Amino acid sequence: MSVSTVKEVTKGFWEKNPVLVLALGLCPSLAVTTSVRNALGMGVSTIFVLTLSNVIIALIKGIVPSQIRIPCYIIVIATLVTIVDLVLAAYFPDISKAIGLFIKLIVVNCIILGRAEAFAAKNTAWRSLLDGIGMGIGFMIALVLIAAVREVLGANKLFGFTVFPGWRPIAVMVLAPGAFLTLGFLLGAKNLRMRT
Amino acid sequence: MARLLHVSSSPHLRTSDSIPKIMWTVVIALLPLCVFAVWLFGWYAALLIAICVATAVLTEGLMQKLRKQKLTLYDGSAVVMGILVACNLPPGISWWIPIIGTFVGMAIAKHCYGGLGYNIFNPALIARAFLLAAYPKDMTTWISPVDATTCATPLGILKERGPGELLSAYGGKLSLYKHLFIGNIPGCLGETSALLILAGGVFLLLRGIITWHIPLSYLATLALLTFLSGGDPIIALLAGGVMLGAWFMATDLVTSPFTRRGQVVFGIGCGLLTFLIRRFSGYPEGTSYAILLMNAATPLIDRYFPNRIYGTR
Amino acid sequence: MSFSVLLLVLVSTIFVNNFVFAKFLGTCPYLGVSKDSQSAMGMGLAVIFVMTMASAVSWAIYHFFLYPGKDNVLYLLLGGDPAQYDLRYLMTLAFILVIAALVQFVEMVIQKVSPALYAALGIYLPLITTNCAVLAVAILNIEGMSIFGVRVGHGYPGSLLFALANGFGGGVGFALALLLMAGIRERLALGNVPKPLQGMPIAFITAALLAIAFMGFIGMVK
Repeated sequence: MSVSTVKEVTKGFWEKNPVLVLALGLCPSLAVTTSVRNALGMGVSTIFVLTLSNVIIALIKGIVPSQIRIPCYIIVIATLVTIVDLVLAAYFPDISKAIGLFIKLIVVNCIILGRAEAFAAKNTAWRSLLDGIGMGIGFMIALVLIAAVREVLGANKLFGFTVFPGWRPIAVMVLAPGAFLTLGFLLGAKNLRMRT
Repeated sequence: MARLLHVSSSPHLRTSDSIPKIMWTVVIALLPLCVFAVWLFGWYAALLIAICVATAVLTEGLMQKLRKQKLTLYDGSAVVMGILVACNLPPGISWWIPIIGTFVGMAIAKHCYGGLGYNIFNPALIARAFLLAAYPKDMTTWISPVDATTCATPLGILKERGPGELLSAYGGKLSLYKHLFIGNIPGCLGETSALLILAGGVFLLLRGIITWHIPLSYLATLALLTFLSGGDPIIALLAGGVMLGAWFMATDLVTSPFTRRGQVVFGIGCGLLTFLIRRFSGYPEGTSYAILLMNAATPLIDRYFPNRIYGTR
Repeated sequence: MSFSVLLLVLVSTIFVNNFVFAKFLGTCPYLGVSKDSQSAMGMGLAVIFVMTMASAVSWAIYHFFLYPGKDNVLYLLLGGDPAQYDLRYLMTLAFILVIAALVQFVEMVIQKVSPALYAALGIYLPLITTNCAVLAVAILNIEGMSIFGVRVGHGYPGSLLFALANGFGGGVGFALALLLMAGIRERLALGNVPKPLQGMPIAFITAALLAIAFMGFIGMVK
């Protein structure tokens, strides 16, 4: 693999991280990060949808008239989301029950339509594939980071295992205020790093 | 000094005193409450107050160091915040819980917004509401001042078992009023004695630190709504934290509206929300949430109820 | 459905289960358009309008086309067993297309009928298509909820009324959250927020403190 290929994948991990740098896809990063398990479920689902939608859109971009391209993109994305939704409901019913609404809402996740419009519509299928995988993994990194902070502080657990025996966790961190606080301070920490 | 407070058009009626003078006057007004709390609940109350004040002062110092600002620990504002957090705690709470709450209130609600004069929410109330969400059981376990057993507050009895039970628990209406007024009842450290809170409030009024607009409109609205809905307005005013809230926390200079008209709107809003939360929500008391919600609305109140231009009616 | 249940649905969606503070819906536009109260007002009104409309239209699509019941259009036209016309798995796809079309349509109508209203709301309408709160409310209208033990939602009495109340209340709750945040952020712009926290981070921290304050409403509707 050439350097530029690797770069195409890894740019989404940190320097163009969709959540922490581009501030996209904020609703799911707040809503599904009550536990690392839910965050991984959401992350994998999004990687699947994002990668395939990027490839399909890159392939059909020559055929679709530009006036109706957005509705076409939405149909592609919604179809992929429906597949993920049904698969999760069948094989991971607990995750589906916990974050099912937000799986459906992947349709309106601005990361996906954003990458379709900004990248896949202008690049080859191969590069769109790499971009989709990279951005998807970047999204998952952000989700897992937020979820880890919230699960440890709010439930004293990580993947369901107790972290500090005997410590009583700050329950509010797994509730709504904890989600906003965690993301706020992560964004602040990112600003601090970028400045220096 | 003007830089520390909000910039508004003249007249700058509220910036005539220096901050340390205001803050230490408030500390004096709060001292009787602290002494009474220690007398009522024992020396553990003194320990809790000391922990809160120490955490507040240390956090303030740490945040000012981090931001490379001038240390202003002498100005008393951290001491006031610490005492107010302690006043809002149940007397039997584990000693380490207030440390978390005070730190969150001071670091997040005050210093993330730029420090004294810039905060949107009352830091002491954020501390309380944060702890209520983080440790709900600890924050709602009350001990009796008589025999140190677990028991319910008057508002708790009113909510769970109705007014009849409350009257019989305190041996009749007059006896209940007397208990509520003097303050030998279960409750948060600083909220039990309506008498001492009123004394502190009147002291602040006479010294010109606060004006009557917020406490009066707040308490009047709550009493009126309670009366109209068939409740006892005297119990509504004397029980729970509404006295402490109306005199010492809703009146916070920074987080309430500038103008007299705005302050009356603010007070009415606090009264309405306190009534609604007490009556319909899962909590027996709603003072802290009511004031926080009105803190959030304060920028809008300032916008829609601006100063009259001087000399016009 | 009784009037009191309808009222409780409104209290629930505006205060207790506020879309922004309790359900994390519409966070992107919430933080994007809350920098000044003028545009917050415009966006708020546009969201209330679109969410109510979308609730009605998506309910109709679900009830008459996707749900295998006795009102299913295909069943009425072709007969047979309603179960063979079960298209519920198309819900996400159908709703997002309907919402996108609805927003386009509303934009065109407003432009024709009232240029003044268009000037006020027009620029916010395209943004609403990607507001996940609108798609979410359409899905939640179908899934329904329980109000003090009374089930509401599709398949229970008064489901269209519930959908309208849920959509309207969700919009009002969003607008309220937006207006409060805009007021606060206008004040913060003049303030002294530490450099790394300026912009998005302090907006999130403010949302956290607002969410803590809104927890006071917990228990008003169970």
